[in-house]
Amino acid sequence: MVRRMKKQKRSRKESGISLLLSIILVFCVLGAAVFSVSQKISKEMSASAIQNLSESLDLIEATIEAILKNEADFQKLIAEELAMTDDLEGDICFYEKSKAMVKISVILTGKTEGISSTGEKFSEEGLDFSAGKTVDGLPVTKSYVNYMGTWAYTMKCPIAKKDGKELGTLYIEYVYDSLDRSLPDGFYNKKASLYVMDAESERFVLKPKGMGERSAGHLNLEDFYRANAVSDQELQKDVSKCLENKQNMLFYHDIRGKSSLNYMWSVNDGMIYLVGYVPIEAIQQEGKTVTQNILIVVVAMLVAFFLCCVLYYLSQRQQNKIRKEQELEREIHNKQLAEALQAAQLANNSKTMFLSNMSHDIRTPMNAVLGFATLLDVDAENPVKVREYTKKIMASGKHLLSLINDILDVSKIESGKVVLNIEKFTLSDLVASVDAIIRPMTREREQNFYVEITEMQYEYFMGDETRLNQILINLLSNASKYTQPGGNIWFRILGQKQHSAQYGYVRIEVEDNGYGMTPEYLETIFDAFTRAENSTTNKVQGTGLGMAITKNIVELMGGTIEVFSEVDQGTLFQVDLELRIPEEQMDQEFWKENGIDHILVIDSQKEVCKNIQILMKDTNVVVDTVCSSEKAIEMLQEHSFLEKGCQMILLDSSMPGLEGRKGVEKIREILPAIPILFLSAYDTQGVEEALCLEHTGILAKPFFLSALKQKIMEMQEGKDTEWDVEETKDTNLEGMHFLGVEDNEVNAEILEAVLSIEGATCEIAENGQVAVERFEKSKKGEFDAILMDVQMPVMNGYEATRKIRALEREDAKNIPIIAMTANAFVEDEKEALDAGMNVHLSKPIDIDRLKKVIKEYTQGKEEI
Amino acid sequence: MKKIMTVCLAGLAVLMLTACGGEKGKNLIVTEEEEEKIVNLFSPMEKTKPDADNVARSASDKTIIMAEEKCGVSVGYITYTAEDYQDKTYDEVALDRARNNMDDIYLLNPDVIQALGEEGKLADLSGLSCVENLRDVVKIANTVDGKLVGIPQEVVAYGLFVNKDMFDQYQLELPETPEEFLECCKVFKENGIETPVGANRWWLETFVFAQAFADLYNGGNTEAEIAALNSGESKYSDYMRKGFDFLQELIDCGYVDAKKALVSEAIDGEGEDFLAQKTPIVMAYWGAANTETAYGATDFNMQVIGFPSSQGQMPVVSMTGFGVGADAEHREDAMRVMEVVLSDEALQVYTETNKVISPSKNVEVDCVPALKPLNDRIEENVYVLGSNASMKMEQWGNTCLVVRKLLGGATVEECMEEFDKLQEEALKK
Repeated sequence: MVRRMKKQKRSRKESGISLLLSIILVFCVLGAAVFSVSQKISKEMSASAIQNLSESLDLIEATIEAILKNEADFQKLIAEELAMTDDLEGDICFYEKSKAMVKISVILTGKTEGISSTGEKFSEEGLDFSAGKTVDGLPVTKSYVNYMGTWAYTMKCPIAKKDGKELGTLYIEYVYDSLDRSLPDGFYNKKASLYVMDAESERFVLKPKGMGERSAGHLNLEDFYRANAVSDQELQKDVSKCLENKQNMLFYHDIRGKSSLNYMWSVNDGMIYLVGYVPIEAIQQEGKTVTQNILIVVVAMLVAFFLCCVLYYLSQRQQNKIRKEQELEREIHNKQLAEALQAAQLANNSKTMFLSNMSHDIRTPMNAVLGFATLLDVDAENPVKVREYTKKIMASGKHLLSLINDILDVSKIESGKVVLNIEKFTLSDLVASVDAIIRPMTREREQNFYVEITEMQYEYFMGDETRLNQILINLLSNASKYTQPGGNIWFRILGQKQHSAQYGYVRIEVEDNGYGMTPEYLETIFDAFTRAENSTTNKVQGTGLGMAITKNIVELMGGTIEVFSEVDQGTLFQVDLELRIPEEQMDQEFWKENGIDHILVIDSQKEVCKNIQILMKDTNVVVDTVCSSEKAIEMLQEHSFLEKGCQMILLDSSMPGLEGRKGVEKIREILPAIPILFLSAYDTQGVEEALCLEHTGILAKPFFLSALKQKIMEMQEGKDTEWDVEETKDTNLEGMHFLGVEDNEVNAEILEAVLSIEGATCEIAENGQVAVERFEKSKKGEFDAILMDVQMPVMNGYEATRKIRALEREDAKNIPIIAMTANAFVEDEKEALDAGMNVHLSKPIDIDRLKKVIKEYTQGKEEI
Repeated sequence: MKKIMTVCLAGLAVLMLTACGGEKGKNLIVTEEEEEKIVNLFSPMEKTKPDADNVARSASDKTIIMAEEKCGVSVGYITYTAEDYQDKTYDEVALDRARNNMDDIYLLNPDVIQALGEEGKLADLSGLSCVENLRDVVKIANTVDGKLVGIPQEVVAYGLFVNKDMFDQYQLELPETPEEFLECCKVFKENGIETPVGANRWWLETFVFAQAFADLYNGGNTEAEIAALNSGESKYSDYMRKGFDFLQELIDCGYVDAKKALVSEAIDGEGEDFLAQKTPIVMAYWGAANTETAYGATDFNMQVIGFPSSQGQMPVVSMTGFGVGADAEHREDAMRVMEVVLSDEALQVYTETNKVISPSKNVEVDCVPALKPLNDRIEENVYVLGSNASMKMEQWGNTCLVVRKLLGGATVEECMEEFDKLQEEALKK
């Protein structure tokens, strides 16, 4: 899988690279195409620019040459005209200067000095004809700054008669400014620069207006070079050569950062040069537009291409993302599957192990049952052995039963079929019933069992007492099981600060100083089908399901359970529950009716005193407490105390200085005949004598209000003050006749046998239908009760009960019908009661319980 | 997406409409605008350097552009710069051109203004409204025969440009008096600096003015002393002598290379050595400290101080002003241009760009740090005028010429005689 994924990644990477290469290739081809096109265009444009500029310069050259020629022609004409006159120097004065001809002078042949048209003397001094330049055959001077402060040149023309006789020479001074008037206004949209340079002196003699940047002025060629950074010596040499050879020259050179075409353009056979530059962009304006358009097209294409690439990339990315998400989902799915598989395997393993353990655990007592049954058969004649064997068979049977009950409980909880049966109950009953079960167990194991109730304000709560009982029995029996003989077990009920007025917050703690548990076991203690130690090696018997059941029930009640344990130190279970408080909680009238508004508590333990105060908080009864006998006596003697009037004293049975009968007598010396109730932790030890006295009683610590009230009522009614909970009366079923409805013959036989032992008789009906018919036919009072199995062929117990109850017989409504079934759950019980049964007993039958129940219901019936 | 599509379609539609529309008349030639009014301006052009802007020129250009926009004229630049000392000087060409009415506006040196003013070749500018903003000294210095014939865009102050690093190197204080100056030169010379003072054929006269007129302009008796000179009671030579003696000593001691100076153009001749720190002292005008083409970007700590005189460091103030040809072809337009370029608004722009002293009372601008010592003196009203049209004998041009004679080998006495002659000629007029 991984390899395949790697392969995929590699192939994806390769395809990405090839795509990139293709893109680069496309770009290269496109770039090459654009480059070659632009090169071609550039060359063509360059050639066109050169041609364009050449044509412009040719035009200017032709114009200037035409002007020069005209000047020369005109000068010749004047010379001819003058030749016809006799007085050259006199006639010259008639000529006036014009804008072009600023000075007209004549020197007669043979003289060095002549006269100008202005009348001034004139000589050739300052005029340099040495360069040998001519215009239309007339010699021309080197350029100079004339009397007007502007650049000028002079042409001389011989004045000769027609016969060839030379009379003199005509000098006419021309200014370059005059050329300006004939040149175009502006050159390449005034971006080009044009100067007129005197070739001989290399001086710049004219910068025509409208030609180029006006701020740029140049002295001479050298200044032009410097100003425009023409430093290339080769180039300068080439320029010099051109000047020498009177040739034209064009060259590229950047002027102020702009690529420009520079020119040296010969005019009039190199007499003057047109010098300057044109920025390429000025010549190639339309070319530039074309280039720009090409560029725009290229850029647009590139943008479109990029856009396509981006879109492609985005779609790829989207696809990759989706693929990755799918892969991730698949991975998670696989992981979940693997986890589920693992969990299933684990559960399977656990169940296999559990079944193996169960198998072992069931086989062990079963083995005992069968083994002892065999022995019983052998030693049937020996009553001692028979009793011993039956005792052991009974024990093994009970163990088997607990195993089966636990398994069923777990299976029910796991399948979510458990429903809490919420009813009002009292904590005192709960504690008493738990105490009744656990205390004998601990006594048997020589352990100390302490019950502590602290800061409990309420006694009555709404909840499932049976399940709570189950929790407490589980925890306490575990504590007992896992504590060595002589160890201590504490059972605490702690009132906690309420979160809401409707709910009491109760913490139940079960602590021992027994074997403790390893941290590893603590982690799995509440898991079902797991056990800390393999039961094969465990000396303590158990199903290993108790804690799982406990936790599930606690959670079902909306509570929490925590465990703290250390090996060889002990274990603490902490159950936090929030139980609803029933509305009719307090019976304040009780105290008023009984005339009790002040009680004195004498107990050496401050906590006990405090707890009693809390307990009595809402009763409007003043509770004084005192922790020592001396102080108690002192208090009793106090006038103020006596004034308040105390109706009862609760006295610690082991209060030093006030023990037993002596204590009662001491107190009664001060307060004669005051009722005294001993508070004892365990039994009546030490107070037996005192109990013989009038108005004394004993109450087990800790106690609840109901117990106290009960005790007060008993004392007032003068009932026996016995320590033990009412003993089961010796009941038997002598002479009673029952209808047993049981499809299983063995069970039917056992039922008959058991009842016959008790002196009762039983008629068996094999199913519900038969039972209904039998009852219908029976005489009134023939049967004392019906013992009804539930699961039966033809008609089950529930239906049979409903039919019996529906019979139109007087006793059909009230004959006790007792369910005796292997369906041992609360729901089964509920269903049984709903069907009309009076009570539900689960199999196997506990004969004592059966007797008690039968007696209870048959007596009731009798009363009716 | 729909929105994008809509926008794209709309854009396309607009493009198509634009491409199709806009048909014009059959004649492809756009009708030319009415003929441009041209005003010619004659001004000097310094030799340009590649890729360097001439700040002074830029400042002037800005005001010219302002005038072109406001007056609807086009100003044509006509320039002249002498290639070397053998060429006609700018002043000579300016005189020629003005005398022949070649241009409309001229940028002129004070001596030329005085000369042309006296010849009546320059128009009276006193009618311009900008005149009332001008400092009095500007008006006095440019008034010839009661006519205001020139107005500058800046009051040009000349000073000594010194390489302060070199002075510090030889632990020299900046000189106040001629004696201290000579002492500094001596130390420089002793330390192998061949020519401590870089000079050209134009500006050595500033030394002379500083010493000659320090007391005249700062002694509280200026008008009387000028009146005495104009009447011939006092002699210019008496004022000038100490300055010439001082120059003679500089030449004799070799602190100034007289031969080189005589053929050197301003800045061209001595600038290179000064920038290369071969010469610690040169003289130049205020704007040179701001201009990259001159001394605007030195590699050393440059300071501009006044010339040594009995009154301490003394700035020499001169004014290169605009004049309008009295018979100029476009005189009216030229006057309108002048009105703009000399307005406070234009002078503010000029002064800010060029960082100079403005002729307008209303314009003040901070100077660059190098100019601070010089500026401080001017602020204190301590300076001498290099040109003063109220003096009958023109000084700026004449003194320059006489200094050249000294450089050429004439004695101080001969030079003084020349002054006497010049004064005599001037008084005859």
